[in-house]
Amino acid sequence: MSPVSLPPVLSAPLSVDIAITGRCNLHCGYCFYADEMVALRDLPGERWQAFFVELGQLAVQRVSLTGGEAFTRPDLFELIDGVVANRMRYNILSNGTLITEETLCQFEAGKRRQRLDYIQVSIDGSRAEIHDKSRPNSFERAIRGLRLLVEARFPATVRVTVNRYNVDDLENVARLLLEEIGLPAFSTNEAEPGGMAKRQADEIALTPAQRRRAMAVLPALAERYNGRINAQAGPLALAREFQFLEDCVADGLADLPGRGTLSSCGGVFSKLAVHHDGTIVPCHWLPSLHLGQIGVDDLQTIWREHPVLDKLRCRRTIPLHTLPTCRDCPYASFCRGGCPGQALLLTGELDVRSPMTCYRLYRERQRLSPVEKVVV
Amino acid sequence: MTTEAILYIANPDVSYREEEDGAILFNPDTDEVLVINVTGQLVWQALARPMSCGGIAAALIAQCENVPQDQVAQDVDEFVAELLGRGFAGIYEGAA
Repeated sequence: MSPVSLPPVLSAPLSVDIAITGRCNLHCGYCFYADEMVALRDLPGERWQAFFVELGQLAVQRVSLTGGEAFTRPDLFELIDGVVANRMRYNILSNGTLITEETLCQFEAGKRRQRLDYIQVSIDGSRAEIHDKSRPNSFERAIRGLRLLVEARFPATVRVTVNRYNVDDLENVARLLLEEIGLPAFSTNEAEPGGMAKRQADEIALTPAQRRRAMAVLPALAERYNGRINAQAGPLALAREFQFLEDCVADGLADLPGRGTLSSCGGVFSKLAVHHDGTIVPCHWLPSLHLGQIGVDDLQTIWREHPVLDKLRCRRTIPLHTLPTCRDCPYASFCRGGCPGQALLLTGELDVRSPMTCYRLYRERQRLSPVEKVVV
Repeated sequence: MTTEAILYIANPDVSYREEEDGAILFNPDTDEVLVINVTGQLVWQALARPMSCGGIAAALIAQCENVPQDQVAQDVDEFVAELLGRGFAGIYEGAA
């Protein structure tokens, strides 16, 4: 019997991540969406517009327009107008290379700019030789697009995906983004073993030694820049989480509310995702868990009744100490089990902890002695 | 200040969703959220068409038993003023 109670299921998701296209003008080495891109076809604009009407009727509050590369869609601004007309806000995830003065002018029409939460540009190095290794032939154009956004005072953010090529360039990246370009902040994650990165893991994924290095460098940089570097996944997030686990054990705590179960992911309580062919999934990191099809299946019914979503939500009632991997782990009472997408990808199972965020596994792989701390 | 003569109406850009323990108003222009209780829901629904505060209060009193009329009128005034101030509702400028 788990002591954890589940929050009530909302009437509909608050936000939806939508891959409006599978097309992309780049061919990045770690693209988690690459497999879906190859296999599926883009939906025509009218199918998306009808979906936006459904989202508006359910009072969904915001959408994330992603891809592929969102700016490759010729009807992008018509789609944005559909989002706006249906009482939602939006953000765009982009590689930045197609952002021009002309593009930005188009945001000035109607409420396109007012409803824009942010445009996120991916930057993976402080110079072309590094950035282009994971995002080929794109550094100059990406930086140009980012500078245009900043100069025009758009809400611009950057995501840096830490990988084997840029792990020793993070200080330069921080200087470029925060000092030279003047971003208020940027976020980091890590090349994860999905999509193309799964096939190219030996080339792009961090080695254990590199991950440890990144876990030392990024918190120090975040401190130097007064918290202007953040993360929800990847080395910086891991460093903070592992430090938290160490602190809990050091303080002699027995347990903590909201921890000690597979509770890491709150996404299934607030959001859904849609592939560019209209397939509804819980999250783009759970791409194979098909829940239905837009325009065919009722989104609210899926949200409230689909057994896969129910199973994902119920993960947080599973105590970690009941799992074979965690039974005798000293951190199990304070851990949250990590991303279910990673867990499924790496183990083939959902109701397990993610090996990527397991502190005990991390310590074993790093060959840390029992008293050695992970973060100094 | 809200007065009897002025008509108010819900901002059509605001989305409204009912949840187990109330409702959520979302103004996408300002990114503001307002969580409202059952009484707030009744006021919001009344504002689907142009209504004065007095009209809203009268509708509430008609739907609820044993409520102090002065208190209802004051509560409606304050709630409509909040909706107005935060852009969830506006003053109706068309013909009544």
